[in-house]
Amino acid sequence: MNTVPIVHFLYLSIMLFGIGLFGVLVRKNAISVLMGVELMLNAVNINFLTFAKYWNWSSLTGTVFVVFVITIAAAEAAVALAIVISIYRSLRSANVDEAHYLKG
Amino acid sequence: MANTLFYVVAGIIVASALMAMTLRNLFHCALFLALTMFGISGIFLYLNSEFIAAVQVLIYVGAVTVLLIFGIMLTRNVMDEKTRVMNNQVFLALVTAGVITVIVFAAVHQSTFQLNDHPLAAAASIAPDHTDVYSLGIELIRPEKGFAFAFEFVSVLLLSALVGAIVVARKDPS
Repeated sequence: MNTVPIVHFLYLSIMLFGIGLFGVLVRKNAISVLMGVELMLNAVNINFLTFAKYWNWSSLTGTVFVVFVITIAAAEAAVALAIVISIYRSLRSANVDEAHYLKG
Repeated sequence: MANTLFYVVAGIIVASALMAMTLRNLFHCALFLALTMFGISGIFLYLNSEFIAAVQVLIYVGAVTVLLIFGIMLTRNVMDEKTRVMNNQVFLALVTAGVITVIVFAAVHQSTFQLNDHPLAAAASIAPDHTDVYSLGIELIRPEKGFAFAFEFVSVLLLSALVGAIVVARKDPS
């Protein structure tokens, strides 16, 4: 049976992480930044599952970690969108570079 | 054949992730993000985790994307055609993300991994009555492994995050 080598999963995960990081750094809209964070979290999930399954295919530790990461990512998305809506209500803008009240 | 499918899905994932990070219409970004998440659930299927793949479709394609589209619609009229999508540090961001990606790429490329067995080959030889979801549930709530406390804790975290989101997003009563 021909199978995919482990490094190709890792390469995919690295590329996703890099794209997400680029989006987080470069986008102006806060919702786009949130999308970048979600991409990075998913790259980490792929990494967790790849290493867990290639180390021992019946190991469930990596799966448990992925479940926790998905839960916390959902909570983070809800809180972040609430903050975006709150900022939009007071500033009439959802751009991260216009919300600089906390800047010294 | 099985390998070709992996590379096709990986190509779809990377291309749609790039689109989701660079397009100017936020709706299109959210839809491409949904496509990315769908492809990632295919990768999870490749790694023998059917439950995680289903959860990925449910939570990311179902919930998070809908939540993002809600947020985009509520803050919609801010992005007219004139304003720029990216800030003025595109070059620096490109260098940072590129350098980090290349460094980790090189590190992975130079490493050797100790692999016990291959998931696809092992799955072909195992009896099918060993279900993923059953053992995952046992793993989550079995008290002596230490995941039971984390499981309860993350449920409390989820509840408090949702309550906090409502408190943050509601109108100021004063």
